[in-house]
Amino acid sequence: MSPTATASRPAKKPAAPPASVPGYAGKLLRVNLSTGKIWTQPWTGDMREYLGGVGLGAKILYEEVGPKVHWDHPDNRLILATGPLAGLPVWGTGGLTVVTRGAQTDGATSTQANGFFGAALKYSGYDAIVVQGQAKKLSYLYINDDVVEIRDAAHLKGKDTWETQEALEAEHALSGHRMSVYSIGPAGENLVRFAAIQGDYGHVASKNGCGAVMGKKKLKAVCIVRGTKALSPHDPRGLVQAADDIAHDLKTDPATSTLYRWGTLPGVSNLYKLGVLPIKNYTTNLTAVDMTTWEPAKLRAGFDHRGHQCNACGMHHCHIQVIGKGPKAGELVDEPEYEGWSGAGWQIGLTDKESITWLNTRLDRACLDVNEFGWVCGWVMECMEKGYLTEKQVGFTLAWGDVDGAYRLIRMISHREGFGDLLAEGVKRASEKIGGEAAKCAVYTKKGASPRGHDHRGRWEEMLDTCTSSNGTMESANATHQTEIGLPGRINPFNGEEVARMVGGILGRKHFEDSLGGCIFTFRTRIEHLARALSAATGWTYTLADAMRLGRRTAAIFRAFNLRCGIGTDVEYPSPRYGSKPVDGPAKDHNVMDQWERMREVWYETVGYDIKTGKPTRETLKTLGLDRLAKDLWRK
Amino acid sequence: MEVTTWVTKHVGGDGSGSKVFTEAFAPGETVRDVLRRCSARFPELDAALWSPDRAELGEHIEVVVNDAVLGVTHGLDSPLKNGDRITLLGQFMGG
Repeated sequence: MSPTATASRPAKKPAAPPASVPGYAGKLLRVNLSTGKIWTQPWTGDMREYLGGVGLGAKILYEEVGPKVHWDHPDNRLILATGPLAGLPVWGTGGLTVVTRGAQTDGATSTQANGFFGAALKYSGYDAIVVQGQAKKLSYLYINDDVVEIRDAAHLKGKDTWETQEALEAEHALSGHRMSVYSIGPAGENLVRFAAIQGDYGHVASKNGCGAVMGKKKLKAVCIVRGTKALSPHDPRGLVQAADDIAHDLKTDPATSTLYRWGTLPGVSNLYKLGVLPIKNYTTNLTAVDMTTWEPAKLRAGFDHRGHQCNACGMHHCHIQVIGKGPKAGELVDEPEYEGWSGAGWQIGLTDKESITWLNTRLDRACLDVNEFGWVCGWVMECMEKGYLTEKQVGFTLAWGDVDGAYRLIRMISHREGFGDLLAEGVKRASEKIGGEAAKCAVYTKKGASPRGHDHRGRWEEMLDTCTSSNGTMESANATHQTEIGLPGRINPFNGEEVARMVGGILGRKHFEDSLGGCIFTFRTRIEHLARALSAATGWTYTLADAMRLGRRTAAIFRAFNLRCGIGTDVEYPSPRYGSKPVDGPAKDHNVMDQWERMREVWYETVGYDIKTGKPTRETLKTLGLDRLAKDLWRK
Repeated sequence: MEVTTWVTKHVGGDGSGSKVFTEAFAPGETVRDVLRRCSARFPELDAALWSPDRAELGEHIEVVVNDAVLGVTHGLDSPLKNGDRITLLGQFMGG
């Protein structure tokens, strides 16, 4: 049966939810760490509209986390969700989406990682894990099909994330892909506000301090034995056809063929040419380094490497490599993503490739977000160079490109030692506390979310997205095949109105992708292909228009959640340095703040939100089928 | 004129690194004129560089003039002067 012949869309109010839906496990795993209670909740009723992943997570967050339940409150939820394509034969479908109230913005968070977690979870019989409460002592969650236990993790205390996974693999005599482990390192245990959750050696759900939430719950790790329960798509042949089309698209489309071949490595040399590679904390966009040595083939060939693919993935993206020379020679490390090369490298003035790849893995092992660490470390380096911070304050001298000093900072932050205790709050809070000239050097959003690892002064769409988003990071993300939804293939990157129309116009696409249980990179295909795969998996027919509408629903729910938490329009601005004018390079003299208010106006108009209150309008909510939210937001 | 990354495949390269050409042009000729002449020599580049109706640039190749993207110091119809550098940069995703 072809995808177009699948069951028609059900009536608005079906008489009763189906007993089971193909592609789904049909159960949520609930864990209360305060009481030790573990139970399952059937989930068959509303997945047609919430899909899974971030869509499901946003719903649970909105319904179960009230405004007084801050990120560190035991009643905060940590939702580890996957989606209907996870575990099915579509590339990169081991996806995990973490949804919670995060530590940096104290607002909604969605952040993704890959590996095998999502597939293992589905094969164990669950679509998501919802963790609430707070354990009395450090614990880990063990899942082996129907056996789910909260176990003592005292022996894992202080271990980094790779050590934790190794210890659990040894304990259970399972290695390779037979068990997926996502854990926190010392930074999470010590509630560093930009602590991440790391898993399967190199995959990181990094945004908005989700690792601090896990640390506050005293949950060291979640380990899932690859389950034994079968998944049955509604239309296996249609699913394989869609999966083949996705793979073909990734291999051959001009926009994605480099991603297929090199992952995100091309970012360094390409973004440099556009003035988008952050260098030394936004103080310059130029370097004397020979950038031809940073082309992807040379970056990869510089290390002894092998593929480290995620579940069902055929991309040449993730790699594990060995450092071949220098003081760290012989160490096994994860090949950095573009953001590793930027955050653990260029942003802090470090251009030695062996040092960067080592530092990047140290960050993963400590469970620190590489982006925020880059902004913190680069800020300290610049402030020390300019005399705004002293050796006495910091505890030692930290200069640009000092890899050993940067690692010392990682340890100080992860253990909240000395000046590291302040830095563990993130660069926004740390710079506000120090004040004076130092405060003017910090790169952050007023909302508290970390900018990604780019110089957004040359990429205004990402700055606008980071500042207006409601999920603790970029919410629209990069335009992908945007002509598919009627948007122009090319815009002037320094025309604020064009930028805002693009950012607002693509809102929803990424939330749709992140609801399916796959990878942001393998899902850089046409929405039409993803919708076909989803239709074949579930038996419901999804169109491109459905995909955008469902993604926008999730965005509106996050927006409503944040407004309820008191996060309003007054914080939709970059810090002075983040929104400054580049002094050199390809974006020299282009001042985003000259057009900022107009950009916001156009963005609000495009997404259908009210600029004064920040609320999605009644009409928007009605179109999205969120009448209940309209009652919450617009009641007198 | 520098052609980089995967775009080099369209001008006889292997899809990585860069290839550099020197293009002669007459006074008053524009960025568009030079791009048209160059792409006319390489049919694959021609198909990739321009929109289907060939009126404007397509989606996937960024044109950078003197280290600035189009729209900053130059548009497609801006005249060129001796020594100007045009870079064709392949779109990529990720990061």
